[in-house]
Amino acid sequence: MIHHAAGGRVRRARRLRESLAFYGFVSPWLLGTVLLTLFPVGYAFFLSFTNWNGLTPYMPWAGLSNYREVLTSGDTLQSLEKTLLLVAVVVPTTVLGSLVLAVLLDKRIRGRIVLRTLIYLPAVVPPVAAALIWKTVFDKDTGDANRVLSLFGAGPVSWLEGNASFVVLIIVLLWGAGTGIIINLAALQTVPSEQVEAAKMDGAGALTTFRHVTLPAISPVLLFQTVLVTITTLQTFVPAILLSPIGDSDVVTNIPNANRVYMVNVYEQFFAYSRYGYGSAMLVVFFAVILVITVLVFRVLGRSVFYAVDPTESRREG
Amino acid sequence: MRHPVAFIILVLVAVAVTLPVIALVISALTPSDQMGVDRWLPTTFRWRNIADAIDFIPFWQLARNSLVLSSVFGVLTTFSSALAGYGFARLRGPGKKALFAILIGMMMIPQIVTLIPTYLLFSRFNLVGTYWPWVLWGIAGAPYAIFLYRQFFASFPKELEEAAILDGAGRVRIFAQIFLPLSRPLLVTAFVLAFNAVWGDFVAPNLFLNSSNTTLAVGVSSGYVDTAGYPVYNLLAAGALLYVIPVVALFLIAQRSYVRGFANAGLKG
Repeated sequence: MIHHAAGGRVRRARRLRESLAFYGFVSPWLLGTVLLTLFPVGYAFFLSFTNWNGLTPYMPWAGLSNYREVLTSGDTLQSLEKTLLLVAVVVPTTVLGSLVLAVLLDKRIRGRIVLRTLIYLPAVVPPVAAALIWKTVFDKDTGDANRVLSLFGAGPVSWLEGNASFVVLIIVLLWGAGTGIIINLAALQTVPSEQVEAAKMDGAGALTTFRHVTLPAISPVLLFQTVLVTITTLQTFVPAILLSPIGDSDVVTNIPNANRVYMVNVYEQFFAYSRYGYGSAMLVVFFAVILVITVLVFRVLGRSVFYAVDPTESRREG
Repeated sequence: MRHPVAFIILVLVAVAVTLPVIALVISALTPSDQMGVDRWLPTTFRWRNIADAIDFIPFWQLARNSLVLSSVFGVLTTFSSALAGYGFARLRGPGKKALFAILIGMMMIPQIVTLIPTYLLFSRFNLVGTYWPWVLWGIAGAPYAIFLYRQFFASFPKELEEAAILDGAGRVRIFAQIFLPLSRPLLVTAFVLAFNAVWGDFVAPNLFLNSSNTTLAVGVSSGYVDTAGYPVYNLLAAGALLYVIPVVALFLIAQRSYVRGFANAGLKG
């Protein structure tokens, strides 16, 4: 009896120590999250109910008027529409493209490492340089794109103005989207080769094997990627402002209308018009949009990605 | 050759994504008087453009700022993410499930949603114009990296630390002497991702820093204009090239570990 109680106390003490250790290890992240994410988000939420201009010591209360404006302003809804169109084009292309390229790179091919490096390399090129590279290529008078067109007797096209600039924006985003290839390659290497061999023994073709063995095995990775690419594409901002024709990057107003995606609009509300309240309301609405889209992606494409076994919870696997 | 079609497709893609970079190199080496001329190649390459690009803006100063900021953030975030990843993978505590859900949710919050409100807050505490925001961001770690560490650390057998505990080792020692050395490829992956993120970031330095302490990303994108305010395209291209070289070099050097880091994290899902 006494022995038992002592054992319980020891166990409880060990549990307590482990809990303390857990909170010790996660505390930098936890404090950082509270201070640098939750607090700012809360602050933005508060500001969205005001008409603050960033200067006055008082913050005039606005009630729901900012939200009413976000949901009715043609300008805002148009920029949202453009952003969604961008997602509709970029996300499927990126996810499918990096899957196909990863499958091809997974084969035993001459110069595989070199090809992989070259194809992936644009993903490490910073957006500032990427935008500049494509501005050079798509320059109306001296760019190589129009020179190629002129070989066929077409053009010249003003790529960086009007609706054509949206095409250039898509190209810039796709060019830098190689991270998925590396992740897919890593995932493909974990597909059990016995299963692939077994399927082949059963007379399954390459495509059938891929569909019934490989694809299910890597599908969680694809889902994870789809979510991440969707989120990063929704917040497209830097390439859009840096593609504006003249070098001055501070001038948001130079951006061709076709590239005025949602975040450009937000940035403009804050820093060109000092509409901190309205800009904040736009951010809150955008966050809600992202949440809805993320949930939809999960609903449509599958349930659980984050499966890996937690050794502290299931001892058998540990 | 066993897969001719795959080979041809890959070569075509590799050429297509590399050509624009070559276009940048060409315009970086084009003499100013040939910049407006409609031709594939200039008659001569002007290598002095590189030196001129360095002199045109305070290049070394800006590069040093970028290097300091990227390294500080990279080192801090690599280690604090590893700490949190270890906590989530190997320790129990009340509320852990909820915290892990928050971590996953954090990956869904776009950086820019928090950036502008963070700017407003930091300006109240006079932190705008200093490097403190990057130190704080670094200490907070990166959700994506924490997730990778967590997946990786969770794959080790329980006996690994049980033996160490019997030997009287504390959690910190187990983490530092057993888990950290085993996760070298992942440390590289996390560092390269973090370093490149800050080196390539344009929005945060543009918002938080001023002309005296800003980074190369801002300097290159806005510095190459002549007195009339027009961009000097050939020097701009040369400057951009110089700006890209360090991150490309870092990737090439770290490539093997970097790729293995992703694989190690058991991304099979």
